[in-house]
Amino acid sequence: MGIKMKKVPPINERYKEYEKLDWVVSHGVGVDHTADMTTFASVLAQAGYLKDIDSYYYMRYDDSPERNYLPMIFYNVFGNPKIPVLLHEEVEPIGNLFNTIVAFTSSVLIQKTSQRALLFDGAKPDAVLVVNTSLTPDEVLKLVKKYNLSKSWYGKIVTVRTSLIDRSPSFPLLGALAKGWEKIDIGSIYDALDLLGKENKKESVKKGFENATVKDVEVEIQNEKEVDEGIEIPEFNGKSWTPDIYYAYQKAASSAKNYSQRIAAMPRWEVLSSGLIEFGPKPGNKNIGFTTPWKFKRPILNREKCIDCKLCTYYCPNGAIDFTKIDFDYEYCTGCGICEKVCPTKAIELKGEVESVEGLKDEEVPVKRFESREYGF
Amino acid sequence: MCAQKVELVKSIPKEKYNVKIWNGARAIAEAVKVADVDVISAYPIRPYTGIMNSLAQMLANGEFKAEIVIADSEHSQFEIVKHASATGARTFVGSSGVGLLYAFESVTATSLGSVPVVGVIGTRALDDPGNFGMEWTDVLTTRDLGWLISWPRDVQEATDMTLVAYRVAEDHRVLQPHFIAVDGAAITHVSMPVIPPSKEDLSEFLPPYDLPYKVDPEDGPVSKGMHIAPSLIGPEERKVIDVALKRSKEVIKEAWKDFEKYTGRRYSPFIEAKNMDDAEIALVGMGAYMKDIELVADMLRKEGIKIGTVRLRYLRPFPNEELVASLKNVKAAGIMEFDFSFGSPNGTGSLYHEVATSLYDMDNRPKLLDFLFLGGREPTTEHFKKAAEKVHELAKGKAAEKKAYWLTLRGEDI
Repeated sequence: MGIKMKKVPPINERYKEYEKLDWVVSHGVGVDHTADMTTFASVLAQAGYLKDIDSYYYMRYDDSPERNYLPMIFYNVFGNPKIPVLLHEEVEPIGNLFNTIVAFTSSVLIQKTSQRALLFDGAKPDAVLVVNTSLTPDEVLKLVKKYNLSKSWYGKIVTVRTSLIDRSPSFPLLGALAKGWEKIDIGSIYDALDLLGKENKKESVKKGFENATVKDVEVEIQNEKEVDEGIEIPEFNGKSWTPDIYYAYQKAASSAKNYSQRIAAMPRWEVLSSGLIEFGPKPGNKNIGFTTPWKFKRPILNREKCIDCKLCTYYCPNGAIDFTKIDFDYEYCTGCGICEKVCPTKAIELKGEVESVEGLKDEEVPVKRFESREYGF
Repeated sequence: MCAQKVELVKSIPKEKYNVKIWNGARAIAEAVKVADVDVISAYPIRPYTGIMNSLAQMLANGEFKAEIVIADSEHSQFEIVKHASATGARTFVGSSGVGLLYAFESVTATSLGSVPVVGVIGTRALDDPGNFGMEWTDVLTTRDLGWLISWPRDVQEATDMTLVAYRVAEDHRVLQPHFIAVDGAAITHVSMPVIPPSKEDLSEFLPPYDLPYKVDPEDGPVSKGMHIAPSLIGPEERKVIDVALKRSKEVIKEAWKDFEKYTGRRYSPFIEAKNMDDAEIALVGMGAYMKDIELVADMLRKEGIKIGTVRLRYLRPFPNEELVASLKNVKAAGIMEFDFSFGSPNGTGSLYHEVATSLYDMDNRPKLLDFLFLGGREPTTEHFKKAAEKVHELAKGKAAEKKAYWLTLRGEDI
């Protein structure tokens, strides 16, 4: 290709100040969890304040209709207010930030790319992972380990199945959080509920506390040092945008092991063409990009029912269904469900990601049908 | 680069031009015809409507071939040319007043996506409602977005500027969209003798549109103006546009120099300064009313006042160096403008802010006054004369009671 590569360090220095703070980051799914996550974060912030800790919370992604089923992230921060807030556009904080990671559904643990990077690249080494799931801590650990962690983890996993306790997962999760993370105790959560006029929810918090399963984890990553050494990106040679340079950058970005490396792999402005040109793949190749960051369901084909009519191939907006032999490329499938809709013999069925990946039933995976959507696109 | 392809040819002194009496709308349409555009999108709004009518008539008469799309709104209108231009078609668009503001989402996407669309805005007051007077506020809303903005003085210059706009916008060093702001009614609906642009003269001046990366299946899959994540590629995209606007200055200079070679018509690229060599005071402005202002300045010269005029031909890129050079010996200057910025410093207008910012670093900067002609009410030479007198008094040492004057206002100007 004739493009020189050079090694650059990952960009994570800017988060050093924020590592002094205590962070709780919670993940859910837009629309499904918006209201619950707001409740969770506000109670937690109130509880922190009652313990004389400066605390605030903010969110990434709002509840606007076009954000249906996209990942929703809330940050609760406890500590010195003199440290400025990380703004909303700081999408993926990296470094040793999060003391506690709360997953409103276990399906967020198997999402790809940026969000997974956020979950584990941003965690402190002793982070507590609280998951709303029917899985056991061991099964959760198996899920987490499936995707290469970039650093060692000596923390805890707390699991609780909130649907058995309360319609809203937020209160049982608060109880589970209090059980796993020593900085917030259940008493201050009770006080916060009193203050917010939600006294009747104390029972749910208590049940969450009691039902939660806690397990210590020890994951050692041998080559942790190597990860931080950086990433190879094309060297700037005074020339601007050509397909070769673009493909070189794309390859570099896709080789990033974590989000800080991915940011480091982005081109400087002199290289860019005017109008932000991106070249498609060469004939016969697929795009190396980040096609499917979010997917909660995936299509499963029943070959006995399939009559090979190719309708699903034609209708697939992402070209993720092979033509010659009907087969799904899950790297490019977004789980939109159009193939299921158009299939005349009902040979295609959408299944929850956790169920299809791990063979495990997870009741918290949002499995809403298109008809049941109140609004959206 | 198109500029390097051009070879030197001697200007052809034409004994007898085939002069036409055209109004601004018709003349601009003739320039669009000569530029041989491929896609035109239109949606009527006064005073721009005349241009689209003329173009539609030409197409109906078979004078040239282009795809004309009558859109369902200004928003769609600007979207159509944005996409057409990205596929490699030369495009023409235009609007006025609130129509332009309705298209605003597309207007921003066109400039931030670096698509060299050329548009003519017949300036019009923003509606309160139904005001069809001349005001610049509609174009000035697009001032900060990455569009090049030029301001002709008369019909001939509007015609020539339209052709030069294509050359500048499509230059590979620029590749940004271009507005030509023609003063509504004062140019669009005024007929005057025009030397028509001819395709023979200008075919070398204006080479075919050649976008580096077209959205064209034949060239392989290409995406343009991608959705971006701010943390990944936010400031870099803006910097590309910033540099394009900075580079556009040299491109504009080259283009007008070349234009003179091919047509024999000479323009100073950025600033048209008249009687500024020994001037003590100056009136600074843009657009069609500079004719009247220059007339007033000539009258005052005869009375012994050393006055000159400075006309800005481009607002973006702003010719700050040229402006400083032309105003360096002046004691006081008056800014003549047709736009408002309510609640701004000292109640002054947008052009005042631009000029004042440019002059701030001068050692002996002139004192400035602002004269606002708002709401579409037409000023007369009397108003301009009064403005010149205010500036003259300021230059003689009499302190001004305020910065901004509303000379066409009925009632007390407080």
